[in-house]
Amino acid sequence: MSKLDPTVRKETLYISAWVLILSAVMQAVFLVFGKWNFGVLFGNLLSGICACLNFLLMGITVQKALEKDSDDAKTTMKFSQTLRMLMQFGFAAVGVIFFNPIASIIPLFFPRIAVTFRPLMDKRSGGQNTDKGGEQ
Amino acid sequence: MMELAIGIILGCCALGAGMAMIAGIGPGIGEGNAVASACEAIGRQPECKGSVTTTMLMGCAVAETTGLYALVIAILLIFLAPGRFVNILMDTMLSLK
Repeated sequence: MSKLDPTVRKETLYISAWVLILSAVMQAVFLVFGKWNFGVLFGNLLSGICACLNFLLMGITVQKALEKDSDDAKTTMKFSQTLRMLMQFGFAAVGVIFFNPIASIIPLFFPRIAVTFRPLMDKRSGGQNTDKGGEQ
Repeated sequence: MMELAIGIILGCCALGAGMAMIAGIGPGIGEGNAVASACEAIGRQPECKGSVTTTMLMGCAVAETTGLYALVIAILLIFLAPGRFVNILMDTMLSLK
């Protein structure tokens, strides 16, 4: 198995940190509204793991696709996206059936929120995050 | 009559879920194009690999969200909507009697 690219590792850690923070916020909101139970916790856990795993797998696929030519890369990404979509469907279906539906679905969107806040973080660190990433 | 109505509800929910997943095709094509362009960019300027990969990963995450919306709609239509719709149908039938 090839080594994980430093850029992919860094970005996955960034997304995982945001998923963790936003999950904590979501649990707090459920607690405040008096709707918290173990279904919410486990649904959030399952879905959060799925979101991080999805991003990691996407990063690994991108890392492998960049070593191929552009046509192969395109096919690899499409195939990977289909498989990851199926994985997310499986995780979300388990969460919706056995745990809380809302707590199982919302964490899937946490990486998108993390990406939205990314420019703010870059601005704060003077744009250094994007330039030093994968240089080897 | 009741069985027919429930069958129509279940069928429409399944059909809606299938139609919603048409939106899942787009992210795959978009990500594929993004990575293909990134391959060409890295081929031209190998020293920019880190920044290109970071930007592309973020772009792929954004592109994937549209597919997620479709996925969520499909999941809701498959697992939650039929029960709700059948309950509404039952309540309506009981109130009519």
